[in-house]
Amino acid sequence: MGKGLAVSVPVKLASCLIALAVLVACGNDKGEPSPMGTIVGGAAKATLAKVRGKRGPAAVAAAPTTRADLEKFGIPILRAVIKSRGADALVTISDSKGDFVTWATTDGTTFTLRNGVMSQTRGLGPDLMSAAVPSVADLSRVGGTHRRSYFFLAEDDRSVRRDYDCTVAVVGRETIEIFARSHSALHVKEECTRPEGKITNDFWLEGATVRKSRQWTSPGTGYIEFEKVID
Amino acid sequence: MQTLTRRLFAPLVFALSLTGAPALAEMTKSLNINGATGLIDMPSGDAQDDATFSFSTSVVGPITRATISFQITPRLSGSFRFQTWRDWNTLFPADSSKFDDRSFDLRYQVLTESRYVPALTIGLQDFTGQGYFSSEYVAATKTFGDRVKVTAGLGWGRLGSHGSIGQLFGDRPPVATEDRGKPNVDQWFRGEAAPFAGIEYKVNDRWTFKGEYSSDAYLLEDDERGIIDRDSPFNFGFEYQKGPNVRYGLYSLHGTEVGLVFHLILDPKNRATGGVMGAAPVSVKVRPSRSADPDAYDGGWVTQPDAGPLLRANLAKRLAVDGIIIENLAYKAGTVQIRIRNNRVDAGSQAIGRTARALSHVMPASVEVFEIVPVVNGIGASKVTIRRSDLEDLEYAADNATLLRDRVTITDAGPVPSYAVGDEDLYPKFRWSLKPAFRISEPLKGDVGLRLSAAYDIRPGLVLSGSIYKRLFGNVDRTGAPSTSVLQPVRSDSSRYSKFGDPALETLTLAWYARPAENVYSRVTLGYLERMHAGVSGEVLWKPVDSRLALGVELNYSKQRDSDGGLGFGEYDYDVVTGHVSAYYEFGNGFVGELDVGKYLAGDVGATVSLDRVFVNGWRVGAFATVTDVTSTEFGRGGFDKGVRFSIPMNWALGQQSKSAFGTTLRPATGDGGARLEVDGRLYDSIREYHTDALDPEWGRVWR
Repeated sequence: MGKGLAVSVPVKLASCLIALAVLVACGNDKGEPSPMGTIVGGAAKATLAKVRGKRGPAAVAAAPTTRADLEKFGIPILRAVIKSRGADALVTISDSKGDFVTWATTDGTTFTLRNGVMSQTRGLGPDLMSAAVPSVADLSRVGGTHRRSYFFLAEDDRSVRRDYDCTVAVVGRETIEIFARSHSALHVKEECTRPEGKITNDFWLEGATVRKSRQWTSPGTGYIEFEKVID
Repeated sequence: MQTLTRRLFAPLVFALSLTGAPALAEMTKSLNINGATGLIDMPSGDAQDDATFSFSTSVVGPITRATISFQITPRLSGSFRFQTWRDWNTLFPADSSKFDDRSFDLRYQVLTESRYVPALTIGLQDFTGQGYFSSEYVAATKTFGDRVKVTAGLGWGRLGSHGSIGQLFGDRPPVATEDRGKPNVDQWFRGEAAPFAGIEYKVNDRWTFKGEYSSDAYLLEDDERGIIDRDSPFNFGFEYQKGPNVRYGLYSLHGTEVGLVFHLILDPKNRATGGVMGAAPVSVKVRPSRSADPDAYDGGWVTQPDAGPLLRANLAKRLAVDGIIIENLAYKAGTVQIRIRNNRVDAGSQAIGRTARALSHVMPASVEVFEIVPVVNGIGASKVTIRRSDLEDLEYAADNATLLRDRVTITDAGPVPSYAVGDEDLYPKFRWSLKPAFRISEPLKGDVGLRLSAAYDIRPGLVLSGSIYKRLFGNVDRTGAPSTSVLQPVRSDSSRYSKFGDPALETLTLAWYARPAENVYSRVTLGYLERMHAGVSGEVLWKPVDSRLALGVELNYSKQRDSDGGLGFGEYDYDVVTGHVSAYYEFGNGFVGELDVGKYLAGDVGATVSLDRVFVNGWRVGAFATVTDVTSTEFGRGGFDKGVRFSIPMNWALGQQSKSAFGTTLRPATGDGGARLEVDGRLYDSIREYHTDALDPEWGRVWR
């Protein structure tokens, strides 16, 4: 309670009364404004793009950005596209622990991938909280089978688990284009089933690198497409 | 009619279709004009999805109904309704032009629908009121294909007043005046019984056609009062579903009236935003391995004089992002205890997780044990102990929440360590706010005003606070007419308080909160405790962190305040000692029961039973009833004190991090019996959030 209080309170009070004409709360007794986007890792400070919610304005098209622009940053860049909410973002690494790399947008959304296979998301709302995922070796083994487990926060924030039995099938070698660069990649399909339903993930493998993928995230978010733009 | 309705709605549909509505996979379990699951005026055998909370308002000629309904369990649901009849004096000019009534319903779904079996529901309508809307029913509903639903049922009371098939269980005795407000058990399923039926046809995902044959003759409105002309038992109309939360209905009723209904349907279990919004957390920082960097693990930093303030400042900066404030920081070479005040994150476990992540970045590598103590009103609510290596190992593990919970201990907070570093900036501290405030006294009645609040935190657990309320507009009773209650008007003079006390000093108190012993919490509040009473209130609560049971004692001495909202006590010259012994029990699935036995404000002695369903995201819906030695005649309209209450967190509706909520308590009638002091900061609800029964169901959010 400083010296300025005696002066500042009536002044602030008066201005508040005006603000309250449009029903806005005033005072020093409220949570600070939510600092969306201030906590992402250092590398992400290079402002690239934001994932926008479905209520936000239309997706920021990544199109005007060229590969040359991106290479100037000198850091790995991943593109994430979420069709269900019209989001298209270029993301950078905010954390790296062994095989797990976390990619962040500037507005506080993260995707954690284990060698290119998604295991967590945060900030999407309906997030993938954790997962047991196959390795790239599992996905390269034609006709191979493995289990997948997903963990979400469901109704009333309770944790729920979904287990799938998955098989891998090769679609074929395809040429894909990512930011004006062609890649020859092996397209594999991972079909995962459980009694209540089925999901299909697609991976385009360039050796041991997942160059492109389309991976299921959660019931509320659906599929996310990733493209590894800059290694 | 169909073309007319379409014409009426065509511009509306165009406007609404731009925003889009999701596809509805199965037929909606829709609500009727009474806010109960059903057809148009008739109920059905359906039940809403578990926990559905709906607000319905309907206008049919001179009758307006506003209803709040809650699906208490998957089979049991309840409603609270406020009904107004206009033109009440049509045939009796001496009466007032309006008449209103409040009623409670309960419904139980005996059979859920399966391939050959219809859904079957038994319901009681207005089962504890004056009887103007009383009826009982059994209704069966069967779905055919994915578009047609047929309902047939049998009703008693109002629902047995047209097309009776006779009395199945004998005469229906009238409700004696002194029994009004009590459950009308003697009437249930008695008197004339009459069948009703109806059909729902889903035209498409948005439009539904409904038609019904009603067994309610509207004797009160047509024969007695002449305010409605009921020509036909057939009602029909259309309903329009706009998104998952809104439904409109337009009907032809009784052959003479047009009915309009609006339903707001909320699902407390799922956020409007589809998930927990807010930015991602920072990643856990992993320490270098001990072999790679043994020096990092040296505990010598503890002796550095500036270590405390430095660590504290760094942590505070990281935690401010989530609105978390550090009350105290105490550390040794291997352990840190951080006491936090969580002002914004709605889930306690998420606040704990974010704090642990911040500690992983700031604390030197030698610190292996993180003790996180959430503090509420200056009291440590519990102590969550997390091993730092578990945090490092499990961040990206599958099912990390369960794995971490197995390794975390949650115990009594314990005392503040003697070597803790406090914060000079926190105490003493002056806070204030000026906010719009709503005061809702009953459905469709309330005030919008401004509340100026201020608090002075003297030291942890000791706070001086006050608030002033000024009404801006509203329709609360402000005639200033004195209460006619035979009891001391401890509550029933609200009209006077509303009229003369504007603006009014609502509260001005000095409160002291403490944790005097293990598992024991205490509160003493002194001053102008609430709008109508002032005095001193003391409370002690016993609640082990992992116990479903809590026990409390409260003792108060209070005087009734003047109705002018000032500081005086001359107007009533009334003082009373009140007190309660309370037991709280966590039944699981969020159901919390409370039993209070003791002496109430009007000097009456009795007990209150309440049951609340508390959701992880902060939603709360509950009901309570108080029976004391006051007779129902002394109590007045309503017979005894009972009501429902709800609280909707802003976070659920808006998705932003916030702990504020919108809620109210609704009573069919406010009497002076069974009234308790309204004191802020009662212990159980403050503490519960950080005990295992509340933390465990939402534990997944520790990683959010």
